Amino acid sequence: MTVEDGIIRQVVQSLSSAVAVADTISWELSFENALFFSWFESTDEHATADQRIPGFKADRASARMKENRPYGFDTVIEVRGRELPIRVEVRRLADSEEVALIECTDASKVQEIQYMLDSYSTLAERNARELQKERDRVEKLLLNIMPRAVFDELKDYGTATPQRFEEATILMLDFVGFTDMAVASDPSAIISELNDIFSSFDRIAETFGAERIKTIGDAYMAVSGVPEANPDHAANIARTALRIRRYLERRNAAHPQEWRARIGINTGPVIGSLVGVQRYVYDLFGPGVNLAARMETISDPMQITLNEATASLLEDDFVLSELGEFEIKGFGSQRLFRLESEIRSFRV
Amino acid sequence: MTQSIFERYGGFSVVSRVVSDFYRRVIDSPLVSDYFHGVDMRNLIDHQTKFIATLMGGPASYTNEHLARVHAHLGITDQAFNEITILMRETLEDFDFDQTDISSVHAEMMSRRPFIVFEPSTAGTT
Repeated sequence: MTVEDGIIRQVVQSLSSAVAVADTISWELSFENALFFSWFESTDEHATADQRIPGFKADRASARMKENRPYGFDTVIEVRGRELPIRVEVRRLADSEEVALIECTDASKVQEIQYMLDSYSTLAERNARELQKERDRVEKLLLNIMPRAVFDELKDYGTATPQRFEEATILMLDFVGFTDMAVASDPSAIISELNDIFSSFDRIAETFGAERIKTIGDAYMAVSGVPEANPDHAANIARTALRIRRYLERRNAAHPQEWRARIGINTGPVIGSLVGVQRYVYDLFGPGVNLAARMETISDPMQITLNEATASLLEDDFVLSELGEFEIKGFGSQRLFRLESEIRSFRV
Repeated sequence: MTQSIFERYGGFSVVSRVVSDFYRRVIDSPLVSDYFHGVDMRNLIDHQTKFIATLMGGPASYTNEHLARVHAHLGITDQAFNEITILMRETLEDFDFDQTDISSVHAEMMSRRPFIVFEPSTAGTT
């Protein structure tokens, strides 16, 4: 051994990396330094690299060496009862196809930083999820008070422009003698019943392609054809009205407190708009809405009253009975009808 | 909804390890290391983290226009691009990703080739 060989030997033995030289097929070790020996201890002196190093995949390593490509992975070993994360790098030694250099370095500093990163990214990811959840909740709340199309416009542009809907049918409902009912009986019980009833109306409206716009006290207003155009707006509202009436009839039969409603329907153009700056309300405006309110006022209890505008759209599918000409304030003389039922067409 | 690769392998925690390992391989590769001379490491790691997250269907999507803009002046060759895709494949293999997931990441990379390779008039890609 020359002096230089001796120095190189000392250098290799005192490296802070564990180094070994192995055959690229059998992975038998032909050399290992002191650190490698102490990190990957083995009782079998012929143990191969994949037997000594946990996680070492001999097949993959051989394939990579054949192509002269590097192979590397992270693993964990136990040194004196403590876990030590290790980075393993394997590459061909010079131009020799048969011999590979295995270099293992202490990765505990990297691991520490990685853990910190993990802890922080978990935190950030959780915050992001919570933010998303909160956003969904706000969206759901806002969708309760305005149609989706209006909400989307508000979200994208910060404002929603009033829109004119040429074809819409409006339903107005009001309870007969509500004020007296509330005074006579237990007011809070009456309000709670009203809440139940309106919630049922909401479900009925939704089922038939209509949407509740608002309630004022004991008055209920729903529409079809807003904000998405719907060719069946008149029939949708007619069905909603008939179901609401049937619901009330059934409810009255089973409950001590009787709820009798007047229902008015009108078809015509309306303007839909978000009103308010801090407290949004989506509302409808226009003569179409006013005439629907007149239809409701003129209606007999538990009847559904409408005029020619809606009647002309319903006459093929619904049973209507004519009430004759009526003078309607602000709208002149109008032919009014009662909505009786839907004609069931059974197709075979 | 099926989870993205990003989510299935444990989110950012795994992506950051992949990026770190991939980065080491890129710097060690004689075929591509020249492209990174004088490049700010902080920037590069930032981009690669976002890019790899994107490839795996995670957050932070890079648009193709963006990729084209940042690579335009680098004159990246087909050979260099291929080396990068091979390094990525090897990195994912060594992290024991499923072959199907590796293929899907590979396909995501290949689909972006036209926005990254800007070799002026050399042999066509086949």
